[in-house]
Amino acid sequence: MSDGVFGDLAATLSAPWETLAFGLLLLIAPAIAEPLHRRWHLPSLIVCLVITLFSPSAPIAYTAAAVGAFVHARGAWSSTRTGAVWLSVSAVLAIGAAAAMQMEQLTLAFILSIIAIALRAGVLPLNAGVASLCDRAPVVQTQQLASSFALVFIHLRFVDHHAAAVAMGPGLVRFGAFAALLAALITLVSRDLRGFYRGTTAMHGGMLFAAVGAASIGNFAAALLVAITMGLALGGLGMMITSLEERVGPVVYRGPGGRVGAFPRLSAAFVLFAGAGVGLPGTAGFVADDLLLHTLWMESPASTVAVILSSALLAVATLICFSKTFLGRTTPSRAPDLYPTERLVAVVLVLLLLVLGFFPGLLLTPADAFLTPIPG
Amino acid sequence: MDASGVQLTTRVALAIALLAPLASVVAIGVMVLLRDERPKESQVARVMGAGLAGSVVGSLLVIACYVGLLGEAASGDISFGDWLRIDDFFIPAVFLVDTVSVSISLFAAFLTALIARFSRTYLHKEAGFIRFFVLLGVFATGTQLVAFAGALELFFAGWELLGISSAFFIGFFHERDEPVRSSIRAFATYRLSDAGLLIATVATLQLLGTARFSAFGTAAALPPLQSTAIALLFLLSAMGKSAQLPFSGWLPRAMEGPTPSSALFYGAVSIHAGLFLLLRVWPLMEVSMIARTVGVIVGLSTAVYASLVVRVHTDAKGALAHATLAQVGLILAEICFGWTTLALVHLICHAFLRLGQYLKAPNTIHDSHRLGHAHRTASQLETRLPGLATRIYAASLHRLRLDDRIDAAFAPVLWLAALLDRLDRRWRALLSFDRPQP
Repeated sequence: MSDGVFGDLAATLSAPWETLAFGLLLLIAPAIAEPLHRRWHLPSLIVCLVITLFSPSAPIAYTAAAVGAFVHARGAWSSTRTGAVWLSVSAVLAIGAAAAMQMEQLTLAFILSIIAIALRAGVLPLNAGVASLCDRAPVVQTQQLASSFALVFIHLRFVDHHAAAVAMGPGLVRFGAFAALLAALITLVSRDLRGFYRGTTAMHGGMLFAAVGAASIGNFAAALLVAITMGLALGGLGMMITSLEERVGPVVYRGPGGRVGAFPRLSAAFVLFAGAGVGLPGTAGFVADDLLLHTLWMESPASTVAVILSSALLAVATLICFSKTFLGRTTPSRAPDLYPTERLVAVVLVLLLLVLGFFPGLLLTPADAFLTPIPG
Repeated sequence: MDASGVQLTTRVALAIALLAPLASVVAIGVMVLLRDERPKESQVARVMGAGLAGSVVGSLLVIACYVGLLGEAASGDISFGDWLRIDDFFIPAVFLVDTVSVSISLFAAFLTALIARFSRTYLHKEAGFIRFFVLLGVFATGTQLVAFAGALELFFAGWELLGISSAFFIGFFHERDEPVRSSIRAFATYRLSDAGLLIATVATLQLLGTARFSAFGTAAALPPLQSTAIALLFLLSAMGKSAQLPFSGWLPRAMEGPTPSSALFYGAVSIHAGLFLLLRVWPLMEVSMIARTVGVIVGLSTAVYASLVVRVHTDAKGALAHATLAQVGLILAEICFGWTTLALVHLICHAFLRLGQYLKAPNTIHDSHRLGHAHRTASQLETRLPGLATRIYAASLHRLRLDDRIDAAFAPVLWLAALLDRLDRRWRALLSFDRPQP
C-alpha cells in the first residue's frame, strides 16, 4: 500500500515535520479540551519543540529540549514537586548531553541522553517523576509526552549512530523489556484508575527504552513509531481519565463502576485509546508492536518474549480497568458526557492512530530515510 | 474475461469481503460519536446488514474467480503491496485464495449475516442493541481477515479482532457481575495463548525468512528443534482459542453472552478458529511429530473430558458448550493425524449443526418444561462399579476443578505482582517531594 499513492505522499513529507505535527497536537489538545489549563507556557513549549526538531546542531537541539523540560517543570510545580524536580533533572541531563556533544564526547552524550529519555518516559525504576505527573498533573504529563518524543527524535538523529550506542544496545533492550514486564505486572494489580495510568505509562516507557536500544543497530523508524504511538495513545488515555475524574472524582476500584450508561462516548474513547496502547489491530499500536517485536528479536529473543508477555498482561489489566470503571449496574450521574471540544480532540487523536495503523509508511518511510543515512 | 480482468475482479472482491463490515462499523461509530441523539435500531441494523451482505457478495465473487466461472481461475497469493516496508523488512498486505480460505470465508460471512438478521428481532429494544451490531461488524472483519490472510501478521490482526469481540460479547450483560468476570477470564486465556501465536509469528519470520503461508512448504528445511518449538507455539495458541484442555474452563462461562453471539462464536465460527490456524500452518505441523502427538493427546483428552461433563450438565447452553468441545477435540485430533480434508468437512458440518442447536436452545428449554424429561436408566458402569461411577460423576460435576487449578497455577504471578506493587510504592515514596495524597 505504501508503495502506491501513499508512497508518493510519504516521499513528499519529512520526518521532522511529521513529528512536529504530532507534537503540536499533543501540546495543544489538552489546552483545547481543558480551556482552564491554557497557560502562558504553551507558546514557549511550541518554540522549544520547533527548535528541537529542526535544529541541525545537536547542542542547540538538546538545549531546546532542556528548556522545554524546564517549562514543563514550571507548569507542574504547583501540582507536584516530585514531577517538577524529576523533569528538571531530565533537563539538566539534556544540557549535559548538549555540552558533551559540543565537546564531541559522544559516549557521554549517549548515556546522558538515554537517562533523560528514561526519566521522561517513566521507565522503572526511574518512574517517580512521571508517576507523580500521572497522579497529580495529567495535563502536564500529556504535554510532556510531546516533548519526550522530540527528545527521542534527536537522540536517534544525533547520538544513536555512535559505536558506543551499538555496544550498549543489547543491554538497553534487555533492561527495557524487563522493566516493561515488571510494569505490566504492577498494572495488573492496580487498585484505581490513576494506578492503571501510572502502570500503563511505565510499561510503555519500558517498551520505548527497548526500542531505542534496538534502534542503535539501524531500526530508527521503529523507535520513532513506538514513541509517537505511545504519545498519542497515552495522551488520549490521560485526557479521558482527566475528563472522567473531573466529572465523578477519583475512581477507586470498589466494585463495578457502572458509568458506561452515563458516559457512553467517554467510555468508547477510553477503550480505543487503551486498545491502541495494547496493540489493537487497525491502530498504530498494532504496527508499532509488530515492528518492535521483529526488531527486538534481532537483539534478544528472550526480550521479545518478555515484551509479548508484558503486552498480554497489560491487555488483561486494561480490560479489568475498563470493567471496574465503566461496566456494571448503571450509576446515575448528572455530569454530561464528553463536551464537543473534548469529543473533537478524541476524534482527531483516534483518527491519527487509525491512519498510522493502516498507512504506517506515511511516518516510517520519511523517518527511515531521514534518520538512517546520518553518519556516526 | 482475460487473466488480468480476473485478477482485478478478485482483488475488488477481496476488498469488498474485508472492508464492507469494517465500513459499517465505522459508519455506526461516526453516527454514535458525532450525532447528539442515538441512532435508531432500524438504521443500525440496516447499515450493518448492508456491510454483512457486502461481505457475502465479496466472498461469492472470490469463489467465482477461484473456480474459474469468470474465465481463468485465480488462486494463490493476491498481493496488495506492502502494509509497511523499511529497507529489507516488510509486512506484506497479501491474501491467500485457496480451497480452505474460500470455504471458511463464505461459511463465516453467511453465518454472520444470518445471525445479524436473527438478532434484529431477538435483541429488539435490548439496551445493548447498537453495541451488539458494532461487535458483530468487528467480528465479521476479523473472520474475513483470518480466512483470507496470506501471511501471519494479517492473520494475527484478524485473530485479535475475534478475541476482542468475543470478550465484549461475553460481558454483554454487564449489569451482572458474573458475565464481566467471565469475559475477563476468557480474554486472559485468549491473550496468554495469543502470546504463543505472536512469538511463533516473529520466530517464523526470522527463521524461515517469510511469514507467508504459501511459503510454509519450506518448513521442512528448518532444524527439528526450531520447527517443533514453533509448531508447539501454534498448537498452544489453537488450544486457547478452541478451549482445549487445560484451557476449557472459559467456554461454559462464555455462555453468559446473548444466545445469537453464543451460537456464532462458540457453536459455529470462533471456537473453530484454532483449528483453522492449524490447517493454515499445516506444513509446519506436518514436520513436527512431537507437536502432532501432543495435539492428538490434547484433542482426545478434551473429547473424553467434555463427553463426561456434558452428561451431568443441567443447563442447556452449558451442555451444548461441552458437546461442541468434544467435537472440536476430535477435529483437533483429526488434523494432527494428518486427515486435514476430513477435518475441514467435519468442521464446517459441525459448525452448521451447532449453530442451529444454539439458536434453538431457548425453545428446547421451553419444550422440555412442557413435555417433561425422559426417564433415565442406570448405565453398565453404575450397575457394576458404582463407586467409580460416583467418582466420575463428582469429578465431571466439578469439571475436574480446572479453573481452580489454573487459578492456583497463576497465584504466584499475582503474588509477585502485588509484591512489586508494594516495592514500587515504597520506592516512589522515598523519591517523592510531595505530601501524601489523602
